[in-house]
Amino acid sequence: MRLPACCEAEANPGGRDMRREEVYAQLAKVSDPELDEPLTELGFIAGVELDGSAVTVRFRLPTFWCAANFAFMMAADIRERVSELPWVERVDVRLQDHFFEEEINSGVSCGKTFVETFPQLATENLGELRETFRVKAFLARQERLLRCLLALGWSEDAILAVRIGDLPGLAPSREGTELAERYLAILRERGLVGDADAPAFVRPDGRPMEPAAFRTELAHAQRTRLSVEFNAAFCRGLLKTRYGETDPNLPESGVPDEAHPRRAVRRGVE
Amino acid sequence: MFKTDGGEELFIIDGHMHLWDASPENQLNKYGAGFIGCFYDYHRNLSPAEYVWDTALFQKYSPERMVKDVFVEGYVDMGIFQPTYLKDFYKNGFNTTEQNSLLRQRHPERFILNGSWDPRDGEAGLDYLQSLAENYGIQGVKLYTAEWKGNSKGWKLTDPWALRYLEKCEELGVKNIHVHKGPTIWPLNKDAFEVHDIDEIATSFLGLNFIVEHCGLPRLEDFCWIATQERNVYGGLAVVMPFVHSRPRYFGEVMANLLWWVGADKLLFASDYAIWHPRWIVDKFMAFELPEDLQKEFGVSLTLDVKKKILGENAARLYGIDIDVQKKEQAHDAIARML
Repeated sequence: MRLPACCEAEANPGGRDMRREEVYAQLAKVSDPELDEPLTELGFIAGVELDGSAVTVRFRLPTFWCAANFAFMMAADIRERVSELPWVERVDVRLQDHFFEEEINSGVSCGKTFVETFPQLATENLGELRETFRVKAFLARQERLLRCLLALGWSEDAILAVRIGDLPGLAPSREGTELAERYLAILRERGLVGDADAPAFVRPDGRPMEPAAFRTELAHAQRTRLSVEFNAAFCRGLLKTRYGETDPNLPESGVPDEAHPRRAVRRGVE
Repeated sequence: MFKTDGGEELFIIDGHMHLWDASPENQLNKYGAGFIGCFYDYHRNLSPAEYVWDTALFQKYSPERMVKDVFVEGYVDMGIFQPTYLKDFYKNGFNTTEQNSLLRQRHPERFILNGSWDPRDGEAGLDYLQSLAENYGIQGVKLYTAEWKGNSKGWKLTDPWALRYLEKCEELGVKNIHVHKGPTIWPLNKDAFEVHDIDEIATSFLGLNFIVEHCGLPRLEDFCWIATQERNVYGGLAVVMPFVHSRPRYFGEVMANLLWWVGADKLLFASDYAIWHPRWIVDKFMAFELPEDLQKEFGVSLTLDVKKKILGENAARLYGIDIDVQKKEQAHDAIARML
């Protein structure tokens, strides 16, 4: 049941921090589409402000010129995820220091589509672009796991015999387990986990991987993964150069250290 | 000239350099400020600490400073000026062919002057391209598809007018087309960094060479694929090379891919001066060895011969430069006396 925000805040002084944690937990579900990493991990979230049932999320990117379509996707995803919280009635997204910040902020906060936000510049919404980058993310996650298995001495035949149901306990190392979890998550996202006995290593559209094409596809996926990682390294470096080492979510924002929401989210994940 | 420990001399051509004016006096708006701010972060992020400039110097540096950095200290023997006009962001432009030509006049043995065009300029732009070829004898152009022009925020190489400009380039013998992708394009919902339009035009214009700046980063995977298919597609290593210092492993992985997919004959060294100083890039690149596991996995190596090609011979071939002749012409020029 939902309590009126004002009553709850008064009755429960800790409620505010709990809500902030809930917001950060939702933000952890939003990824940079090019880098396939959560905004909370990338340091893109510049701050969260709560005012009753209204939430303002400020975010920032590594450069003034980061592509507008990806920036819009992140802004729209922030709004969507935070709006899922039952007590939230209003979400303002505030992209900062960006060439199209005004257009994106007003468009997303009013719930407009990309075409509605940029009627002169866009011909379609971002579904196709989003799918292109989910495919890249799929290939990169799959490649990391395949490399890990090959390094552990698995043969190609053994790899191609892996079933979806085998994935959770597949790799013995902690790193391997994490890679398998991330791969499984994107299989799930793409609706490819229906049958636990189906082959685990498939193409992004679910078609099986041909044994004869295994090495070629692996090489292609490797280039995709390298591109994603190279970009991620560059972007992390540029963000640090642009804004320094400080984490805006640390105590200066008024949150006591022990209740630091990002840490809380991390605890929840681990 | 870079001399190896063994006494071998390498003739170095820097494939991408600028002499820009991004001073506040020349900035037209926040986009001009944002453009140079972004470059400055690239510069600060990937340069060794002792090479980091202050903001004011980075916004505007003198021709003398450029000559000292690049030719006197930076091992470079020749540099290719790649103009970037950005007249919607800077009053007099960021760096135009005309501005660059002034320094080339002083050191004709040292600079290759490229021009630029924009398909949105229509017929008038075709005339301008012709005048660049006639007045300056340009052999190449730098194209920036993310350039803003009024309400337009970019263009595509396959636009009908772009094809007319490419035909004109063929007609004029302007055969080296340097392509630089940026963050905006028409339509805005497409991936601006996508390189597939290069594939299309490279097939249509076999008489032209397409040098893809930054090797298509951040879309390296697509670039490798295209460059393998098209014999007239080359990779410009600006932005890639500085990683040799901050992320040598990534640099090795990218180079291994480029050498395998694109090939040692089709990669061009570039500092993107003044974003990065060529001295440390050349030093670190010469000292760099491709890790053995990557050599084994890809079946490629980065030998002295390969480095020579990347650092100068490939660009010399594209621009019709006979290195031995050029060395003689430079032997007693104003810059030779400063060395």
